[in-house]
Amino acid sequence: MDTQPNHAPHQVSVSPDQALTPQTMCPAFGSLRVLTRIDGVQTAMVTDTGCLYGLTFVTHFYAARKSIAAPALGTQELMAGNVAEAARAACEEAARVPGTKLVAALSLCVAETAGLTEEMLPAQINGADVVLVRVPAYAIHSHPEAKDVAITALLKKFTTPARPTDAQGVEQPLTYDQPDAQAADLSRKVIMLGEVFPADPITVDAALKKMGAALAANLPSRSLDDYKMAGKVGAIAALHPFYTQSVATLRAAGVPIVSGAPIGAEGSYGWLKGIGNALKLDPDQVEAVAAEERDKCRAIIAANPLSGRIHVCGYEGNELGYARLLVEAGAQVPYISTSIEKSLYTAADEAWLKAHGTVEVVYRKTLEQDIAALDRYHPDLVLGTTPLSAAAKERGIPGLYYTNMLSVRPLFLSAGLAGTIGLIRDALSRAPRYEWMREFFAGERAPVIPAAAINTMD
Amino acid sequence: MSQSQIQNPKSKIELIRDLDTTSGYWAAVWTMCCLPDVHVICDAPIGCFNLVGTAVPDYTDAIPHIDNLTPSVMREQEVTMLGTAGAVRRAVAAVRARHPDRQVIVVSTAESEMISSDHTDWLGKLDTPAPFYWSRSLEEDEWAGRDRVLLWLWQHFGAPQAGSVSPQSQTVNIIGPTYGCFNAPADLHELKRLIAGAGGRVQLVYPFQARLTDTPRLSDAAVNIVMYREFGEGLAQALGRPYLFAPIGIRQTTDFVRELGRLLGTEAQAEAFIEQEKRDTLQPLWDLWRGPQGDWFPTTEFAVVAGRTYAEGLVKFLGDELGMRPVFVTGRPIQAGEMDNLAVRDFLHKRQPGFVFGSINEKIYLAEAGARATHFIPASFPGPIVRRALGTPFMGYAGAVYLVQEMVNRFYESVFNFLPLDAVKPTTPAGPPGAPVAPPAGRIAWTDAARAQLDAHLESIPWLSRISASRDLRAQVEGYALRNQIAEVTPEVVERALQRPAG
Repeated sequence: MDTQPNHAPHQVSVSPDQALTPQTMCPAFGSLRVLTRIDGVQTAMVTDTGCLYGLTFVTHFYAARKSIAAPALGTQELMAGNVAEAARAACEEAARVPGTKLVAALSLCVAETAGLTEEMLPAQINGADVVLVRVPAYAIHSHPEAKDVAITALLKKFTTPARPTDAQGVEQPLTYDQPDAQAADLSRKVIMLGEVFPADPITVDAALKKMGAALAANLPSRSLDDYKMAGKVGAIAALHPFYTQSVATLRAAGVPIVSGAPIGAEGSYGWLKGIGNALKLDPDQVEAVAAEERDKCRAIIAANPLSGRIHVCGYEGNELGYARLLVEAGAQVPYISTSIEKSLYTAADEAWLKAHGTVEVVYRKTLEQDIAALDRYHPDLVLGTTPLSAAAKERGIPGLYYTNMLSVRPLFLSAGLAGTIGLIRDALSRAPRYEWMREFFAGERAPVIPAAAINTMD
Repeated sequence: MSQSQIQNPKSKIELIRDLDTTSGYWAAVWTMCCLPDVHVICDAPIGCFNLVGTAVPDYTDAIPHIDNLTPSVMREQEVTMLGTAGAVRRAVAAVRARHPDRQVIVVSTAESEMISSDHTDWLGKLDTPAPFYWSRSLEEDEWAGRDRVLLWLWQHFGAPQAGSVSPQSQTVNIIGPTYGCFNAPADLHELKRLIAGAGGRVQLVYPFQARLTDTPRLSDAAVNIVMYREFGEGLAQALGRPYLFAPIGIRQTTDFVRELGRLLGTEAQAEAFIEQEKRDTLQPLWDLWRGPQGDWFPTTEFAVVAGRTYAEGLVKFLGDELGMRPVFVTGRPIQAGEMDNLAVRDFLHKRQPGFVFGSINEKIYLAEAGARATHFIPASFPGPIVRRALGTPFMGYAGAVYLVQEMVNRFYESVFNFLPLDAVKPTTPAGPPGAPVAPPAGRIAWTDAARAQLDAHLESIPWLSRISASRDLRAQVEGYALRNQIAEVTPEVVERALQRPAG
């Protein structure tokens, strides 16, 4: 991999030191998190008991206080070929909840291996749509990518292709009718695609309104109507790089896509301009708003610059954007890792980061890679997965769970920048406490074996 | 609307809500990984590894992650074409290179069992053979699983080296807990205190505070204490020494200390300990029993959904000893005739006792029902709850005091919440806790039948909360009557006024 020139020999996938433990929440949880949070959606999980227990646990903890229906699937049921019947029965149980509009049947490893398919499920139960969401962890490799699977399943249900077809499957001719008022209104609105801090859509909407547009919704959303609206808005802002199937689905529905997110000075400026272009807004007005945000960001950074070396190693799939903000604010970020795959949508951020001092960007990372990087670069702060943050704290380095960082502060535009910089400065300033705790519990520090010197700035 | 409804043929498909008991695979990991000189390689997709090794124990056992667990990481190619032997082989080599001092054990998962990945043969033929544990993840639940794993560890790593030693007098093993046992550190702490009090000396706490290399020493103890009725008895039986179950409540605990003293030949010390405890650890219970707090118990209902040890222990202590009224009790693993979660959910939606001991599932069902006067007390996994402090036991004398103290304080909390308050901020009329204010008494007439109807509604509310609830319900009915210009409240008006909003 070209990201680790000094350590290329260790990058073989079977290396004992580098590729043992991929870092992600169970991928299927990404889908559950999206689906269980939607009003009127009930979930039926088709899987074995160990899987069901774990996913129910994390769903009840981080996603929704919603009861989850499932069939008992053991060897007996699987051998008897009862998977489809079991899935149907669980969907019917799920649909019994009053007010159910949609039943999401989640097909997990065991059900996928047994061969559960969409055709085996009814299209509707008591008027509620039934959608099959296929998220075997052996095929979907990270939990952000499973969010994409769930959203795609809903979008496919609700969006129509760009050119509607008649009963014979022949495309309808384009018409030149005056669009109705509602359609015209929606055409000047944006839907953001990607989980965000609740305050972010508010600041983004305010900026868009100054440009003569508005935010229609943010997906994933608690309302099914927002998913139905996605195919009709003027543009989709795909905030995070892993929504590849959702983006493809919406592109096929004829909706312009803007990628990237309004993070940091350059990021916010570029993103607002991109939205302006996609919605064909007044360029002067857009330039004014975008430049104002950029200048506000620069002023915030000038007043509160960051300094220090930070590793950004989450498994949420949006680490590159977060790292850009830190670099713009003055931090060194030599090492970034994420659970998602390298793609077209990660290219721009990676190129920007590499041009600004980042040495390694690791996709589909493992815990061992992240820990090796700790000892290679000796960061002052680690934003990591829970095992990595623990490893950092064992070394007396301030460590924070990246997912927690995302969920406590806004991130977008100048308002988000200020909050995030404050949080990071605060974390960096707590270093002596981490060292005190380490020493209290672990005792005198063993002599450190000097790591290979790496110049992070070339 | 097109509707293709398929009739559920009402066949043998058994339905689950909010599964509360996990599988034999989880049991294997949570049991074996307690032993720091073991390294488990699970033949698993990444999700099965993450949930059991990080996501769940992080929020229950409060450990950042289980660091002696490594997945084979099966991917689509392993599932559909290659099989998982190659992936397991790489993991075994890698783990041995990193941790040459650890015993590698390979464990199957539901998915590896689904594709029949049995690695026994080739693992046995390695230069350094590694054992393979078939976790029966598709059939076995976590309790039967833990029981079988403990026995398996004894058979593979204990019995062959144990020889025929005679037990050391006055030594006691504790079998259990493992990871994923609710409230285990506090219960274990109390158990050790009771054993010492009865004149015993704790030798091994297996597997929680032992190493794999300690396993042969399991046979050295004179008595074994099986911490849970759910698992561990199989190992105790194989060890062939007398064994006792850990106690809950005053009577069970007293019997336990006496019996242990008898088995160890330290009867006098055990009796002295019991006497001392009455004046020390247990004194608050005697004081609360004699005080006004003691009057609340006979009028208070409770329900339990928990592991068998806790379910049976709470009924004996709260029901038989304190005289509280159990409305339902259902243990896990579930036995024939006990309520499953579908039944528990239906019950709690209709009626809510004063105390519910349970898992996050019961907490959700109470929230769904809008229960305001019920105290939920965590007594079981699943659910994110940390119980690592040593001062929250349910077992033993300290547990009896802790439980009563916990309930009394919840009572105080109820009283606090129902007393009149001059709020600094105005309460919003629709806000959930804001009690409706009744119109001045006497402005609206009630028929006798309507009063009876109101009383019937009060029957479903926990006793202690009824005084304030009667005020709330009356206010709700009279408010409704006023808004609808109804001069006299009849049973029909009561029904309409108290109808829960849909959803």
